[in-house]
Amino acid sequence: MSEIVFKNICKSFGDVKVIENLDLTLKDGEFTVLVGASGCGKTTLLRMIAGIGPATSGEIFMDGEEISDIPPGKRGVAMVFQNYAIYPTMTVRGNIDFGLKNKKVPKAERDRLVQEVAETVGLTPYLDRKPSALSGGQRQRVALARAMVKKPKVFLMDEPLSNLDAKLRGSMRSELIELHNRLKTSFVYVTHDQAEAMSMADTIILMDAGRIMQQASPEVIYNDPDNIFTARFIGTPPMNICRLKDGETYLGYRPEKVFFSTEKTDALYQRKAKILTREMLGSETLYKVQILEPDFAEDKGLSVMTKSFETRYMPGEMLNICVRREHLYFFNKERNRIRKGDVPDIETYYRMAEGTV
Amino acid sequence: MSKAKNNASPAKRKCGPRLMDRLRPYLMIAPCIAFLVVFTLYPVVNMIYLSFFEYDLLTPKKFVGLNNYYRLFFVNVDFWEAFKHTFYYTVAEVVLLITLGLLLAMWVRKSTFLNAIAQRVMFLPHLVAMLTVAYVFQWLMDDRSGLFNAVLNFFHLPGLNWLNSSKTALMSVVIVSIWKNVGYYALILLSSLKAIPAEIYEAADLDDARPLLKFFKITVPMLSPQIFFLLVTITMGSFKVFESIRVLTGGGPGSSTDVLVYYIYRYAISNMKYGYACAAGTILFVILMVFMVVYFRLPGKRVHYQ
Amino acid sequence: MKSKTYYRIRRKIIWVIDSILKIGVCIFLAFPFYWMLTTSFKTYTESILFPPTLIPRVFTLEGYRTVFEGLDLGMYLKNSLIILFWIILIQMIVMVPAAYGFSKCEFKGRGLLFGFVTVAFMVPSQVTFVTTFLMFSKMKLIKTLIPQIIPFGANAFGIFLLRQNFMQIPDEMLEAARLDEASELQIMLKIMLPMAKSSLVTIALLSFMSHWNSYFWPLVMTTSDSVRPLTMAIDKLKHLDFGFVWPTIMAGNVLMVLPVVILFLIGSKRIIAAMAYRGIK
Repeated sequence: MSEIVFKNICKSFGDVKVIENLDLTLKDGEFTVLVGASGCGKTTLLRMIAGIGPATSGEIFMDGEEISDIPPGKRGVAMVFQNYAIYPTMTVRGNIDFGLKNKKVPKAERDRLVQEVAETVGLTPYLDRKPSALSGGQRQRVALARAMVKKPKVFLMDEPLSNLDAKLRGSMRSELIELHNRLKTSFVYVTHDQAEAMSMADTIILMDAGRIMQQASPEVIYNDPDNIFTARFIGTPPMNICRLKDGETYLGYRPEKVFFSTEKTDALYQRKAKILTREMLGSETLYKVQILEPDFAEDKGLSVMTKSFETRYMPGEMLNICVRREHLYFFNKERNRIRKGDVPDIETYYRMAEGTV
Repeated sequence: MSKAKNNASPAKRKCGPRLMDRLRPYLMIAPCIAFLVVFTLYPVVNMIYLSFFEYDLLTPKKFVGLNNYYRLFFVNVDFWEAFKHTFYYTVAEVVLLITLGLLLAMWVRKSTFLNAIAQRVMFLPHLVAMLTVAYVFQWLMDDRSGLFNAVLNFFHLPGLNWLNSSKTALMSVVIVSIWKNVGYYALILLSSLKAIPAEIYEAADLDDARPLLKFFKITVPMLSPQIFFLLVTITMGSFKVFESIRVLTGGGPGSSTDVLVYYIYRYAISNMKYGYACAAGTILFVILMVFMVVYFRLPGKRVHYQ
Repeated sequence: MKSKTYYRIRRKIIWVIDSILKIGVCIFLAFPFYWMLTTSFKTYTESILFPPTLIPRVFTLEGYRTVFEGLDLGMYLKNSLIILFWIILIQMIVMVPAAYGFSKCEFKGRGLLFGFVTVAFMVPSQVTFVTTFLMFSKMKLIKTLIPQIIPFGANAFGIFLLRQNFMQIPDEMLEAARLDEASELQIMLKIMLPMAKSSLVTIALLSFMSHWNSYFWPLVMTTSDSVRPLTMAIDKLKHLDFGFVWPTIMAGNVLMVLPVVILFLIGSKRIIAAMAYRGIK
């Protein structure tokens, strides 16, 4: 059991307030991913759990116990750092062994654990090397092994894959998912990469400027965003947002839900548009299209992104862009989602979206 | 680079004097080299040459072969005394400056208000002339009305004779030097300490490493190149100690604080035995060069960095 | 796990002890300065009281008066300043082209010559002083300021620092200047030098401090007061009265230290950085 609860947490660096009055619960055993742009406070939260960057005020509970004053080494957590933070003066074995030694684990037991963990991450042949003689991916594994060997209640990972090349990152990603499935302990993972978050998380916590924008599973956060920020952060290219003709309601739809047509279709949302650019990505093609008559007069020259399996459209072509009713999202002036039931009559918005072609 | 220079040269340069282009670098460094030849190389060569002569500026110099060295090592016991004191002084300096400097550096490493002040204060003694430092400490260490003895008396301890006893004089000189230099060396170590990534210590915290273990397992190994460098510079610096000795003790009481440079100074400037002084100077030179070779031969053997 | 109050209290206690010790160390390091200053304002009789007084009972400028009356301070100060002026000037003139040559020009023997500079840098004046003295006395220059100036013409540390600085200037910039038909002299003065301005100030500052404070060299290179700098004057204070009159000696030293401390207060960041660099080099 290792549920982590933040209560009324504030953190400031000097005069800069990074986090204000934050409440958050991380469920036990889950792979939780904290995601957000740099400076949003995600790493700050992670370091609070680790105990290496205490909160300015507020309380943190682990399994119901307040841990703010417990030193990092006594919290039962392990961390993988962005730059790995491997001890450069020790061998690989020394690195993995270090925490166990400090916990006064007997030598024989230690050797067994190190052997076991090295086997899992594939470092056995390198145990007596210095980190400087290892590749980036191998160092990453050392950092991982060092965390695993302690059998922590919580794994903390601060952008552990960001220094690897794309290929290696992909394979490490699935290894981490496997590892989580096997160990069933809590993982708290920090990243700025929404794709990484989507692919690994049980629960995503999306943060912006020290606030939590949404906490939900990847499916929910993609299909049912709470606000424009979430809608645009998750998914590439981000969700298209245009104002409706009242000028204060926003309409959103994902690029991949748009289809093109030269004649009238049964889709609710249809607008005349001109293709500006075309980017062929392989299986899909990205089109940037300009909406010829935007709903809100001030949005002149408004363009949206679309993603399609069709490759035959060319820049300059005129056509209709269409989105079906179930793929439309509405947001209010405060950029928060308007769902059915939030307002007396959601149909007004659909009628506004329908407009005329 | 020179190739690029020729390629990049505009056409006009071609008819200019090519010789000038090749000579220019030499002309640029010539003044510097000339100064070093006249005021470093020549004096050293001349010193070695004169060490085989008896010479007092007034009468013509007389070749005596190795006689100066013979007297230095086997006849006059005072040279060995001076050497011994220099050696003790050096050992004390190296051990104390490095350990205390390291401790101080570790101690004021975090950037807090108090530490920022401490860093400035630590540096202050290094700015002041050794002459001034020596006078102030001579006053503080005065046996009758000095403050140090007043403090000792306050705690009901007997006063010391500090500079006026052959038992404590060398120690007192070491104390003065430590006071003047420890902050400086601490700051040098501090700048290397700051280059160690903070995450490594955070990782160690998560590994539940106790402070002492972090110090010996992480800090010291990571600082080893810098520590080695300080070892050599402090050693070389201590072997040429002079100013503090001259003001604080004048080599005394007796000859209890006579050191190599003071020895050379006495024979050269006071006694005008230049040949003999040159022989002693040559020995000092050889000792310093040995340290220098050690320094250049062993650099970065234990540099651990990713 | 121990209780959280245990860790909280432990942390508080450690913090208090740590702060007290730090203040103690600061006092230990700063106290001699305080002692020098207060003693300089004491009367002679108060200065030799035992136990001594921490704050002077009577403030007097007697010590300073004796210094000014007993010594021709103006002359010593003038010597010091002349020496400093020439040393820094010559160093700059020698150092800039040398650093340029060693950083941006290729020529045969560059490595060897730079090695020579490095080795020469490590030979201290304590080794060379006897024969340098003989050289100057044979040239009958001992009664002039020259022996205190020209031996320091080549500032090896300055050359290292400046060379480092020049090497960071991209070659493309110099090539662009050559394409614009700039002469090598123009390149050095108009492009390289402005980019190294801050290093030059640092070098001059360090040079000033080290020669202002220098005692060994004037001691061995001078035989008459007329060419001696301020340090030597301070050294004479103990002979001014009968025995050591501490207020007088401290007053003289306060005057010595004052300019350096003022410089430090103005540019402490730069000075600390430069000195630390010298230590690492």
